[in-house]
Parts: sequence; structure tokens; C-alpha cells
Amino acid sequence: MAQDPGLLLEARGISKSFPGVRALHRVDCDVRRGEVHALLGENGAGKSTLVHILAGVFEPDEGVLRMGGREMRFRDARAAQEAGIAMVFQERSLAGPLSVAENVFFGRQPVRRWSLIDKARLYRQTRVLLDDLGIGLDPATPLESLSPAQQQMVEIAKALSLNACLLVLDEPTSTLTEPETAVLFGIIERLKQRGVGIVYISHRMAEVFRICDRMTVLRDGEHQGTFARQEITEDELISRMVGRRSGFEALARARPVPAGSPALEVRRLRDAESLRDISFVARAGEITAFAGLAGSGRTELAMCVFGARPMTAGEVRIHGQPVKIRSPGDAIAAGVGYLPEDRKEAGLFLEMSVAANVCSVPIRDEHGHSSEDVVRGRTTYEEVVNASRWWVNDRVMERQAATVTARMRLTGDIGGRRVQELSGGNQQKVILARWLLVHPPILIVDEPTRGVDVGAKREVHQLLGELADAGTAVVLISSELPEILAVADRILVMREGRLVGEVPRAAATEESIMRLAAIRKSR
Amino acid sequence: MNTNEPAQSVDATAAVALPRRKPSVRLYLTRETVLIGLTLVAIVGASLAFPTSFPTFRNFSALLRNMAMDGVMACGMVILLVSGMFDLSVGSMFSMAGVLTGWLLTQGHLPAPLAILAGLCLAAAGGALNGWIVARVRVNALITTLGTMQIFRGIAVLVGGPGIANLPPAFARWGQAQWLGLQAPIWLMLAVAIVGQFLMARSRFFRRYYYIGANAKAATLSGIPVERMLILAFTLMGLLAGLAGIAFASRMATANSTAGDGAELRIITAVILGGASLQGGRGTVWGTLVGVFFISLINNVMIFARLKPEWQSIVIGMVLVLAVAMDRFLSRRV
Repeated sequence: MAQDPGLLLEARGISKSFPGVRALHRVDCDVRRGEVHALLGENGAGKSTLVHILAGVFEPDEGVLRMGGREMRFRDARAAQEAGIAMVFQERSLAGPLSVAENVFFGRQPVRRWSLIDKARLYRQTRVLLDDLGIGLDPATPLESLSPAQQQMVEIAKALSLNACLLVLDEPTSTLTEPETAVLFGIIERLKQRGVGIVYISHRMAEVFRICDRMTVLRDGEHQGTFARQEITEDELISRMVGRRSGFEALARARPVPAGSPALEVRRLRDAESLRDISFVARAGEITAFAGLAGSGRTELAMCVFGARPMTAGEVRIHGQPVKIRSPGDAIAAGVGYLPEDRKEAGLFLEMSVAANVCSVPIRDEHGHSSEDVVRGRTTYEEVVNASRWWVNDRVMERQAATVTARMRLTGDIGGRRVQELSGGNQQKVILARWLLVHPPILIVDEPTRGVDVGAKREVHQLLGELADAGTAVVLISSELPEILAVADRILVMREGRLVGEVPRAAATEESIMRLAAIRKSR
Repeated sequence: MNTNEPAQSVDATAAVALPRRKPSVRLYLTRETVLIGLTLVAIVGASLAFPTSFPTFRNFSALLRNMAMDGVMACGMVILLVSGMFDLSVGSMFSMAGVLTGWLLTQGHLPAPLAILAGLCLAAAGGALNGWIVARVRVNALITTLGTMQIFRGIAVLVGGPGIANLPPAFARWGQAQWLGLQAPIWLMLAVAIVGQFLMARSRFFRRYYYIGANAKAATLSGIPVERMLILAFTLMGLLAGLAGIAFASRMATANSTAGDGAELRIITAVILGGASLQGGRGTVWGTLVGVFFISLINNVMIFARLKPEWQSIVIGMVLVLAVAMDRFLSRRV
């Protein structure tokens, strides 16, 4: 094969697995000088894994990286940096209190005798770099006083100061306004002219078609093809991204006919940042799903309804009654449960026992009422909530936890074990068991099967179905379209903090959902 | 439905097959058990070395009396450490509460019960201030209580000068009373510790502190009012520091403006020796009390051995670092 002189980096047959997940399977990708190369795919398609491999953060299990015909092996991110690959991370890797110049020359400040930093030279060199990019920033400004867009530019300048010839931009416009985006595109244009190659990850189709020369599509870790901009239309690209998949059978459950009464009504809800006038109804006995891309505002919406995030306007009604929810405690008392997206950070007490985790919602009584009683109408949810007793008894707690964990197929001698010893799937079941114990009439589950194995996924789905059948209004937030198609009774789609539509279940396909969810116009 | 069967049965076996955790020696090597072991060794060793003077009722009664004030305060501190917080202002609070009560008695001519009540209220208010700044304003606990420590110390000296002596007998008799041969401060410590142990171990309400310390975010999302709970914990800490300070002033019939200086670090040391961690989520009242007892014991033994008091801090410091390091080492391998 003749060596293409314009070729900057070539990745061939890259595979990478993590415990339980095949993130990439024989993926090819190459980047030319002066090219913007888009990497497209749904959440979890493997884009992030691929760029982390390019940037030396992960080592591939299989496959080779070549630069200028030479095979490269990066031991760590630093090695990739030395070879000229720099990544502009979504989470910015800058030091807030330090100046722009100190950040650009992080740990590499020009020095005088005795290793003293040469401030004048530091500022001069930074000035030159920033001018080159057309950024009018004072090198002495503290970084934390800059806008997110300006910080990102500093990060790009930092990458270039390392003589990067290949830059990875991971959703660079997700936090930018329209004029800021225009400035960024101007910078990208200059970089192209200087022969820098750019790998560009974005969910915004319009943007991709505006600045990218070629596009590589990934789906479930597999390469779906690389296309020049002129070769392909937006619709074709979306159908490549979603494709057809198996592995999720629709839940065959007896659907209530017709759906029950509205359990949760949200009217014109807004928050200070992203959510704009969201109104929806979740009915008892239904699974109402929210689809959308990462960052579309679904989790923020759930947090607002659950009282964990302030809303600035709007009304929440539960069973027709307007309620004021100011804290998660209020929400739980009103009958709302929430299973958070990040189970380790926000859901579990890792060092505590399974029983203590299951019994963490402080509202139960040991006599009389069980969660089943609530469902069967023998007692009301309010009674259970208010009947909290004063004392705890570890044995009673373990027994209580055991009744629900058994229902989750978490059997064996488990109550006394620490949660951190369990697998991801079992940990997720522990959090679900927590809500099963309280049995709120409205349960919001946020990415309930993220990072769990297929078997546990199916069980979680089945459980959600059972809860709905028993009259719970289940609100499902998921980034996995197959999951939504398999489980949901109704599908609502969010995009950029707005509810953009409902896809009728009969007509719902991954493509019809993605069309609504994908961002077509630059704002 | 049928299609679901195979996958389910596969996973069911996987779920049942959770292995029972094998009991091992390591499980029994917790900080609490190690501390108890060291305490017993120290007691036996000192009894053998000083058979006539050490293992006597008189000596142990003095030992308990010396630890009583720290013991009362440590019961509040363990709640804070369990929830991932701590309070450096307890020593100053101890002095300030004593001095304010003394001032109310001598200058304000209040009857003893009223003066005590007022002193306790002021101490609780000081603790609530700490809690409010930490939980609501969200200033880090180190900075907040470092600040209030100096504020309280300043107030104590401003009001009391070096101290207020000759407190009225109506006040002093409380702290000097004896029952079954033990002085009142010892009974105070035992009462606080027994109630504290019971509440922390058994009450639903106080159990919340373990959840807060283990994962504050998850605790919030479980409906626990984390901010309010933290303010309450600091308030209790202030109240207990005030109680100890007033009791001490009563026993000495003098309110010394610097009586509590240095108590904060000694108490945090005791709580950590007793099994708590700065990260929160761990700690018990009884373990804490053993920790306080151990420090008092070392002090006592040093006096018998006629070693300079500086040796006490060297030994305590070494035990603290070794105990926590051992903990790290063991948890890494489990």
C-alpha cells in the first residue's frame, strides 16, 4: 500500500473490551492533514473509547495506530501528546485560579536562571499563540473569570503549544452560544489551513455538515462506514447510526386498557439553566419514556420533579392535586421515587450493607404494612410514610430488605454484605429494591440499566413492567433506544431542554426517535 | 414470555451463587478491637509494674474523672465524624461556656440553675452557628470552626480575663457531688455516653448520620434533610461542649478562660482511635469512649512511670498513625 503523504494518523482494526462490554470491534479510522473528521454515533456507540485510544488514555486490545507510516504505541496520554495528538476534553482540565498563560504552558513555563519563571516571556509566547488563533484574551487573566467558550479556546491554545498536529474535540459546542460557536469555527478553519487534523465529535447534524470533510459512523462499537460530506445525506447518516438491532424483545405484558388516571402532571416547568416550558402527564399503570441525547435535559427534569433541583416556574400535580416540592423529602412524601443516573455517586452507600442500602429511605413501619398492602389498597401510601417508628433493629431491617431483594432475585446470604462487593447489575437491583420497599405511586428511573449485563437488564425491564401493571406510574429515562422501544408505553422526546414531541408507540422506530432527538439546526 | 425463560434461569443461578464471605482473622482486626487489645495490654502491664498503686479504685476513679470532660465532648464529636464533619471550636466553647456561666453567676447574680441553663443555651447557639455556616453557607468545616474557635476563645478571655474564681457553692456543689464513690462528672459522662450509644445504634433518626457520611448526595436523594441534620449535629456538639465546660467550672469552682485549649485535637484523636474516619460513615460511641479512656490511661501510666508528660503525646501520636495506617493496609487487601 502506497503511503498517502496527506495521512496524519491511521487506526486499523481497533478493538477494545471492558469487563462485560465490547466497546470497539475492528474499527478503522484515519485522519488527513487539514481535515475535520467527524465521529458520529449514538450514546455508547464507542466514539469516546476510540478517541481515548487515539489520545493514549486507553490501550487497544487489538489493532494498530500509525503516524507517518510508523506504528505507534502510546503508553499513556503523555506519550500521545509528545507524538502530537491532543485532546480537548469535555470536562476541562484546567486550573481555575491560575492565569491564562500559566494554563497554556502548564508545567512548561519558560524559565530563567535557577528555574525561576520568566513572566515576560511566558506572557509574550502566550500572546503569540492566542493571536495566531485570533483570540483576543489577556494572558494574565485568571482562567476562572472566563466564559466556558473562552476556557475552551485556552485549552485549544494549550494543545497547540504542545505542537499538536491532531486535535480531538469532544462535543465542543455543547456549552457554547451561537456567536461563540461561530468564533470556534473560525479557529477550526485557521487550524485546517495550518494543516492540523481534527477529530470532531458532535450530535449536531447541521454543524457536522457545515465544518466536517468526512464522517465516520460507529454503532455498538462497530464501524458503519466513512463518508465524504458530499456522498451522504443527513437522513442516511442517521439511519446508519441507529441501524437494526436485536437483543431487546418487547415486554409482553398485559397493558392496562385504557391507561389509568394521571398520576403525575407537570405544567410549563422551567429551571434557571436549560429546561424550557415542559408539560407532560404520566399515568398510573403506564411506562412513560423520555428519549433524547445526553444533555437534552431529561435528568434535570427528573431532578426538578424530585425536588433535588430548583425550578423557576411551572406546576407539578400529583393525582390532580398541586404540590409544592422543595426537597427530595417532600417528593417522597408526595409519592415520587427517583432512581438516579449515576448509581455510585448518587445512589449507593457503597461501604454500607445491602440491608442498610435498601432501607435508606427513612419511611417504613415494620408492622402491618408491606409494599404489597399499598398496591392492593389495604393502606395508603401516606400511612406508610407517616408511620415511621423511632427505633431500628438490624434483624428486622435485614428481614425487611430480604423480602424485596428476593423479589429482585438477589438471593443468598446477602443482607449483611457490603454493596461495593456486588456486581453492577446487582447494585442496581439494590437501589430498585429500595424503592420497591417504599413503593411510591410514581417512580422515575434514570438510565436504570446503564452498565449492567444483559440478564440483569431484562430483569430490570420485567420489574418495571410489573410495577406498571400494579398501578405505578413509571417514568423511564433512557439513552438506549432499543430499551425504550422494548419497554415504553409512551415515548416523549427531549432536545436541548425542550420537549419536542411524542412518538406514537405503534409508529416508533429508532429512526423516528433519533430524527426528533438529533439537533438539526445550529442555534 | 417464553423467550424470557432461559435468560432468567441462567441469571437466577448466578444470583444464588453469591459466595458466603469467609470469616477471616482480618474481620476481627478492626480499629475498635485493636484499641481494646492495646488498652488491656496497658492495664495488665501497668498492674504488674505498679501492683500497689495502679490497680486501685482510687486510681481508676481519678482516671475516669480526668477523662470525663473529654468523654462528654467526644460523644458529640463522633456524631460529626460519622457524618463526615468535625469541629475544632469545642475546646474554646468549653472555656467560653464555663466563663459565661461564671460571669452570670458572679456579675449577673443569677441563681445557679438559671445560669447553667443560660450557659447551655449560649453553647448550643454557638454550635448552631457553626452548623449553619457549614451546611447552609457551605463554608468548609475546617475553616468555619477554625474561625469560631478563635472567636469563642476571644470572647472567653474578654469576659473572664484569665478566669473567674470563687464561684458560689450553690453552683460548685453540682460538680463536686459524689455518688457511690464516683464524682458527678463521671456520672455525667456515663449518662451522655449510654444515651448517645443507644441513639446512634438504634434510633432511626440518628442512624441517618451514617448515611449522610457514607454518601451525602445519595442521602439527599433518599429524602434525608442533610442540611438540617448537620445543623443539628453541630448544635448538639456545642451543647455537649458547653455542658462539659460548665461541669468542669463547677467541679473546680473556677471558670478558667483557657481550660479547654487543645481539647479539640485530643478529642478528634480519641474518636478516630475508636474507629471513626474523617471520610465519614464510620464510628461508634462506645469505641469513642474506649479511645478517650485509652488516652487517659496512657497519661496515667506515664505518671506512674515518672516519664515526662511529653512522652504521652509521642505515644498517642504513634498509636493514632499506626492504627489508621493498619486500617488502610487491611482494607486494601480485603
